Amino acid sequence: MPIRFVNIHKAFGPKVVLQGVDLEVADGECFFIIGASGVGKSVLIKHLIGLLRPDEGDIFLGEEEVSRLDERALYPVRMKCAMVFQSSTLFDSMTCAENVALPLRKHRGMSMKEAIDDARRRLEKVHMQDFADAYPAALGDGMRKRVAIARALTLDPEYVLFDEPTTSLDPVSARRTDELIRRLCDEFGVTSIVVSHDLVSIFSIADRIAMLYKGTVRLLGTPEEFRNTEDPIVQQFIQGRAEGPMEV
Amino acid sequence: MGAPAAPVGVLLALPQRVGAFLLALATQIGGVTILLGQILRRLNPARIDRHELFRNLNRMGVRSVPIISATAAFTGGIMVVQAAPFVEQFNAKGFIGWAATFTTFRELGPLLIGLIFNGRVGANNTAELGTMQVTDQVDALRALAIDPIAYLVVPRVLAMISMMVVLTILGDAIALGGAMLTADLLLDVDPRIFWASAIERLETWDFFVGLIKSLLFGVMIALMSCYYGLATRGGAPGVGRAVNASVVASAAGVFIADYFSTFVLD
Amino acid sequence: MAFTARAENVSPLAALKNVLQDALAVARVGRRTMHYLIRGKREPGSVARQMFAIGNQSLFFMCITMAFIGAIITFQTGLQSKKLVPDFSMIGATYLKLLIRDLAASVGALPLATRVGAGIAAEIGSMVVTEQVDALRMCAADPVDYLVVPRFIASVIMGTVILIIGGFVAYGSGMLVAQLMFDVSPHTFTNLSLVTMGDLVLGVSKAVTYGGAIALVSGQRGLATFGGSEGVGWATTEAVVGSCFAIIVLNLVISTIGYFFVPAL
Repeated sequence: MPIRFVNIHKAFGPKVVLQGVDLEVADGECFFIIGASGVGKSVLIKHLIGLLRPDEGDIFLGEEEVSRLDERALYPVRMKCAMVFQSSTLFDSMTCAENVALPLRKHRGMSMKEAIDDARRRLEKVHMQDFADAYPAALGDGMRKRVAIARALTLDPEYVLFDEPTTSLDPVSARRTDELIRRLCDEFGVTSIVVSHDLVSIFSIADRIAMLYKGTVRLLGTPEEFRNTEDPIVQQFIQGRAEGPMEV
Repeated sequence: MGAPAAPVGVLLALPQRVGAFLLALATQIGGVTILLGQILRRLNPARIDRHELFRNLNRMGVRSVPIISATAAFTGGIMVVQAAPFVEQFNAKGFIGWAATFTTFRELGPLLIGLIFNGRVGANNTAELGTMQVTDQVDALRALAIDPIAYLVVPRVLAMISMMVVLTILGDAIALGGAMLTADLLLDVDPRIFWASAIERLETWDFFVGLIKSLLFGVMIALMSCYYGLATRGGAPGVGRAVNASVVASAAGVFIADYFSTFVLD
Repeated sequence: MAFTARAENVSPLAALKNVLQDALAVARVGRRTMHYLIRGKREPGSVARQMFAIGNQSLFFMCITMAFIGAIITFQTGLQSKKLVPDFSMIGATYLKLLIRDLAASVGALPLATRVGAGIAAEIGSMVVTEQVDALRMCAADPVDYLVVPRFIASVIMGTVILIIGGFVAYGSGMLVAQLMFDVSPHTFTNLSLVTMGDLVLGVSKAVTYGGAIALVSGQRGLATFGGSEGVGWATTEAVVGSCFAIIVLNLVISTIGYFFVPAL
């Protein structure tokens, strides 16, 4: 089922963030949303699972109009559509295994013991089995992100939203995360929406890219189209130049 | 709070501040009431996360035992020291056991333990929920299709209310121990006489008044601390502000609840 | 602070050790405060600013709280004396004596500690976690001199003033309850025959001590903050609990001294 954003407007008090964003993401696609910091990329994807409500505009997941659902009706949507937050957001009071076990206990009806066993197997897939009983505070950023990804995938979602998955990671961890996201699309048919400004990730794994600028979509296209565009603002961004027409 | 304003500003500022205060008060009362409604809706049918409930019972109850015991013991002693001159003057040694138990059960026990519980458990709870809020952990729960009220708030509220009552019973007992010991040392009142006078004059109702009060204080502290925790905004300074506001609001709530329950429960 | 220790399991012995360590840490801050109080040169206006902040943020709250406390105490005393001697002529005299000798200072100090202690710890704690205190050190300014001393002076002065005002409010609300519930006229209620000079001295010295204790405990807790936003929350919790506990211990000490050296009757 495709995802459609139709004319999304959003402001926080006097600060206008989104002013008419239109996007459509196809099934099984690895879709990147790029743009300068503070342009509203994270804000946009948080609308899809109802963490934020648009001031104007609609969001469709297949035929369902997500932006009209109330909190309770959003739960089934969120079980299909997982999100990995920028700051990992592991629960401080729980070990890594308990973090991963929580959705299993809540939605799969497993007991604590079953859920922890299952969580350990899932941590193995992200190479974190040795840290299953560690508390998140004891781990580095990259490790926490891997646990957060394992937690987001526990309910076998059809869609996964990644909010800056490679920011603050070392280059090796970043490329491994890229590989993981690509494999989700290729092997499991998961639709991924990735918010990023990591140029390496963008050009190595994206199927299509949308660039946000000043609250609207500046350019939508394949990586190839982005490389060949003549738009000076897009060119400045993807070449990472300090000087140029782009306003901060 | 900023520097003192100019004299003219102060005159104009007063009605403005009273207005702002009343508006904020209305917002908070409204917010707490909505939270109460949300909690009650989730208790029917009750599906409480046992793991989270037991974690909080231990964290909030078992680990408050040392501070509650120490405070209660000292308070029991103070009570007798304060009453000592009157006891000596009126030669009322036969009454001190009753006076101490009556005061402890009805008033001092629930109020004092409520205040300490507010400082330790309430503040702590606001800090934890506030940190979860500003670090997006509450949103992460929602993104995992887990209801933050049902998962985070309901077990905490239940744990705080039940632990407040249990700790009051414990605190009452320890305060009376302290009072008995001080009466023995300072006034030469034999512990047997102390207890005899308590048993002779005390009514069961006196004990239950205290328990009802502690239940009310528990509800007050639990709701306030969860409300301020979830309403936290604005990073690290925001958590500090939330804890501060929560502690003060709960303390005021406890006193107001105490006042009304004292009259109603007579 | 041992009572709010962040570690999951603490043995009673270790908890006792922590309490003593915390008391020592507060004593060290107290010594440095005294040192700078005599030696240090204060920025003009810094004490006045803190006095305004403390007075401003707690006066209203304390008046409301003390009004309720006064009403509750009078009501309970009335209930109790109704069972012993059905004579309310001395209720005002006894209440006033207890209020001046102990209750105004000691009961009022607990909500005061909640308000002022939490404020001091949250403010200093936020400065610690945002590294502003380290910046102070880099300017060769001792944080105790710069942050704790003005708050200490302000808390002693304003704490005493507010507790005295609170005492008057509690007296007023007590009088009201006595009139409404037990038919004791304000004239009978206002009976100073039992109050001695010693009671007044004892009450005021309690208020002064509590004001100082709140500032020292909360200042020390604020300066010892670590661990980001959660740390500020912890420091605030510990400041409130620590101040309340210090007040209760000091109350027992001063009351016992008072029992022997300032005879009540």
